[in-house]
Amino acid sequence: MNLQGSNKILLPIVSFGIVILGILGLLIGDIPTDGMDVYNAIFSYSDGNISELIIREIRLPRVCIALIAGAALSIAGMLMQTLFQNPLAGPYVLGINSGASLMVAIGILSGAGFLSSELGLIGSALIGAFIFGLFILFTASFLRSQIGLLLFGVMLGSFVSAIITILELSSEAESLKAFALWSMGSLNGVTIEQLPMIFLVFILGGVASLFIVNPLNLLVLGEEECRLMGYNVKRLRLMIVFITALFTGLITAFCGPIAFIGLAIPNLTRILFKTQDHKLLLFANLLFGALFLLSCDILIQLLSAWILIPINALTSLIGAPFVIYILIRKIR
Amino acid sequence: MIEIKNTEIGFDASLFAIPEMDFEQGKVHILMGKNGIGKSALLNTLSGLISPIEGSLTFDEKRLSEYSYKHLAKKIAYVRSNVKGVPFLTVDAFLLLGRYHYKTLLGGHRLEDYALIQKAKDLFGIAHLADKFTNELSSGELHLCAIAKAYVQQTDYILLDEPTSHLDYANKRKVYELLGKMANEHNKGIIISTHDLDLAFKFPFDFYLIESQSKTLKSVKTFKEVEKEFEMG
Repeated sequence: MNLQGSNKILLPIVSFGIVILGILGLLIGDIPTDGMDVYNAIFSYSDGNISELIIREIRLPRVCIALIAGAALSIAGMLMQTLFQNPLAGPYVLGINSGASLMVAIGILSGAGFLSSELGLIGSALIGAFIFGLFILFTASFLRSQIGLLLFGVMLGSFVSAIITILELSSEAESLKAFALWSMGSLNGVTIEQLPMIFLVFILGGVASLFIVNPLNLLVLGEEECRLMGYNVKRLRLMIVFITALFTGLITAFCGPIAFIGLAIPNLTRILFKTQDHKLLLFANLLFGALFLLSCDILIQLLSAWILIPINALTSLIGAPFVIYILIRKIR
Repeated sequence: MIEIKNTEIGFDASLFAIPEMDFEQGKVHILMGKNGIGKSALLNTLSGLISPIEGSLTFDEKRLSEYSYKHLAKKIAYVRSNVKGVPFLTVDAFLLLGRYHYKTLLGGHRLEDYALIQKAKDLFGIAHLADKFTNELSSGELHLCAIAKAYVQQTDYILLDEPTSHLDYANKRKVYELLGKMANEHNKGIIISTHDLDLAFKFPFDFYLIESQSKTLKSVKTFKEVEKEFEMG
């Protein structure tokens, strides 16, 4: 018996959780604020009020980017897993992050003019992610085994981090510190002015994903089967790589590398919903990914009085054991 | 009608030649030959997955290569020998994929599609598997589902690559009977590659042999002609 019908009720529950945790995320922090401050900060903001300023300039962008990054990375992971028919694929393991990281490292560490500017960093992160995505797609065409492809992604990651280490050694202390902070992953770097642009790119990727949900359903049967059913797979593959690079590059540029979400959340949703209907999976990943990263961020805020945890460390601490659990489940 | 003339078939290099052969609708064509002789290559070529090494095929008086993927998918269904089960893909969802190009603008399915799937499940006796995940089926059950999906596609031709090799005797018989019925009653052209010679010859089908010595496709009438080929090897 499959339970997908009854599990659909999870979607409204998760949406509700997002609203509650979103409000909580605006309320908590070093400086105590109350509901009135939150309301004012959003609907009738006045410059002089320090509580409202903190909510509007610091907490609101952080909550928003947590939601967007969680959703974007989870959808990217789902796309990668369907494309390679491999439940262990994801933008991080396959090294698409590495492409973006390498470009950001070159930008920050070299400190060279346009490259180190905000737009330069984002643009180069997107290009880096896209090139690495195409590289992996190309490799996958003759590297047929699932494990082989994952190892290739890991090697790509090692190769890039070696280059980054060399870059780090020959760069100045200030840019080195900036890069070290970026590479830990942080949701604090985004300003409220940047949000509309990030949101727009996210929506672009989301709408593009919505357009390919039907062929994705076909793609689970394999590429030749897809072709036999009359669908041109080449275009679909490029589209998937494009969307994945867009999401991964965007989030990596603004938040640094955030591991394991793109691997763990799509697996979680497939297990919970027991379906290959990608329209349902798309929304499930969007909501679960958003809720998960927001929860991580709130946990970090709650613990910040005692210990500082970078977001990338926390997602790895939770995500890595979950992926091991999936591996064991798969082998049995 | 599929018409083939002076054509060489193979994956990368030519495996055998077809001087002249027609595969009509309304008949079951049984394709026989030794392992590796090129049966799958021929079916792959007919489905449009690969091109002939030399020559060309015409399908309804138009070259096969001139059809778009989409158009071809509405005309020819192909059940491959290595059907794969997919985790979390139910048999129902799998069968619905057979109606992929008949989706509505919003990506939904029509009522006829569901009725057709119900009919396919009844015909092939797989109704009890409807909610099962395809990766949890036995390979015989999975093949029955794959054949049912080809039926659901409602094409003029159905190609099947050793569809019965995973089935038990009762199911083998049933599949041949059903395919024969589809050819007669619904005027479908059915082309099957198989090693189940004894069983196939019990039906009034058309038989073809890829002869290993001359490396050509021939039409055969009696079981004797085929026996000779397999004893020689």
